[in-house]
Amino acid sequence: MVQILIHAVEQGLLYGIAALGVFITYRILSFPDLTVDGSFVTGAAIASSLLVMGVNPLLALGVALLAGVLAGTVTGLLNTRLGITDLLAGVLSMIMLYSINLRIMGRPNISLLRTDTIIRQVEHTFSFLGGFAILGFIALVVLAIKVGLDLFFKTEIGLALRATGDNEAMITAQGVNTKTMKVAGLALSNGLVALSGALVAQYSGFADVGMGVGTIVTGLAAVIIGGSLLRSRRVVWMTTSVLVGSLIYRVAVMLALRYGYVIGFQASDLKLVTSLLVIVALVVPAFRARLERRVRAC
Amino acid sequence: MKRIAVLLVLGLIVLSLGAVVASAEAVKIGITQIVEHPALDAVRQGVIDALSAAGYVQGDNVTFLLANAQGDMGTALAIAQNFKAEGVDLVVGIATPTAQAAAQVFEGTETPIVFAAVTDPVSAGLVEDATDPSGNANITGASDLIDVGSDLAILKALSPSIKRIGMVYNPGEANSAFLTDEAVRASGPLGLTIVKAVADTSANVPMAAQSLVGRVDAIYVTTDNTVVSAIDSVLAASKEAKVPFLMADPTSIASATLATGFDYYKQGLLAGGLVLDILNGARPDEIPVAFQHDPEIHLNLDAAGQIGFTFPQAIIDKASSILFGGITWNRADSE
Repeated sequence: MVQILIHAVEQGLLYGIAALGVFITYRILSFPDLTVDGSFVTGAAIASSLLVMGVNPLLALGVALLAGVLAGTVTGLLNTRLGITDLLAGVLSMIMLYSINLRIMGRPNISLLRTDTIIRQVEHTFSFLGGFAILGFIALVVLAIKVGLDLFFKTEIGLALRATGDNEAMITAQGVNTKTMKVAGLALSNGLVALSGALVAQYSGFADVGMGVGTIVTGLAAVIIGGSLLRSRRVVWMTTSVLVGSLIYRVAVMLALRYGYVIGFQASDLKLVTSLLVIVALVVPAFRARLERRVRAC
Repeated sequence: MKRIAVLLVLGLIVLSLGAVVASAEAVKIGITQIVEHPALDAVRQGVIDALSAAGYVQGDNVTFLLANAQGDMGTALAIAQNFKAEGVDLVVGIATPTAQAAAQVFEGTETPIVFAAVTDPVSAGLVEDATDPSGNANITGASDLIDVGSDLAILKALSPSIKRIGMVYNPGEANSAFLTDEAVRASGPLGLTIVKAVADTSANVPMAAQSLVGRVDAIYVTTDNTVVSAIDSVLAASKEAKVPFLMADPTSIASATLATGFDYYKQGLLAGGLVLDILNGARPDEIPVAFQHDPEIHLNLDAAGQIGFTFPQAIIDKASSILFGGITWNRADSE
């Protein structure tokens, strides 16, 4: 049970990086960006192609991140310079990336089962930590990204980015170029999503051109689940809530897998059970709060 | 009311504990599949039936844990991790990504992994060598590699005027991309040319198929899951172009002029046989990858009639089944 929870947390954190990317566009910029279904794979594709060529895993992660930044920039330019609406700009990038990802990989699936990935290096270097080595590494990476984002949103550029999403007219009056801000936000967001894809590929042992399907859905789920559990206007809590949301989603998948059939569900019921568990996770705290209020009123 | 609910829950817990104790002696086999799909479902059924035929009965001496990632690769990994936590004795991974996820999670363990419906297990990184299993550690399995060269030869034998072969395929599917490359390689020596039409989703298959009308003398589709989901639109295009359509999957014969290959249920039986070998004491690194042999030819005279095509007698003689007047005539039955 403990081991399975560790795995769920590992996955929740890895996909949490992508969810943080979705958070930046959806919550901060109010820009529903669908590029992520493509840029997640781009990250995985670049990292795996480089790893198979024998490139250092850290360098591969860096290049993957840059590729994501580039993808986000393209979406941003389509929207701000060519005047294509936000949803369509994202869809176009996502579709273009499908072909580009196939080009990068040269085939639809790259196996990393026989390649020295960063996950494998961590596992070997910190083998004395046993099953906690990978979790510890992932937690550190994600924490660094989260704290980095928190600090970034306190800088002048970060504040301007937040204001761009909140009140475009006001911040334009302050002399900020909101178009540049949007492009920067999309670049940052997709950079994180690509990094997430690059790490997930190494964690899973393969990159597949179909692995990005649903990144936007699970990302949004994490943002919204977390947001309804931890309501706050402070960025520190907002980024925390996104990671919590991602964790809840992955733990729900794991619980559905582990206990679904014990209570008579079939394999094909998985998505239903997962969603029901998420509903329970959302409703129980709200219900308890109402109960507490009623108790206090008495 | 509340007390009754508590009692019910307690009862359920006791029952499930009882079930766990009762099956403590049973072999635990986890079967993981990437998505619901007729061919992949048939593989799973084939595996289970092969084991049942050998005396392995669910709940008695074997416990099957059936899981389906429902198209999500993150879930495929979670399934494999869950199997590990459940302490399964053997994993069956159906299709490339699930087999890869299982291989990653069970790396370095003694738990045997048997894959099925993987076309190219070597480039999928599952095994080092398909014929020499000694370096393949805990992994073996069945490949659904079809003989593209023999399919093209059949198309060529249909009529001397067939020179250009149109192929509708999804370049995002590992199996299909591999087979299309194989077809291009095999076409040269046969004097044929391959004209590719790309469909990245099932919704785009009709358009891709239409684009071939007037440019090809025959249409060929391999085991491509995306295209199979929209197979009738390929048949429609072949009727419009009045050219024969060969499908490398006999389960789709009603939607093609002719079909070759083997059914996926038999692929499941083949993989199930490997599972049995392992349960009987063989080690995965002693079992080479199993390839399916003896592809069959199935003819659809109804569809051929609609395009005014007559099969040569040599092909009819080799056919294992003929669909005519809406009824399937099997050679095995008539002999």
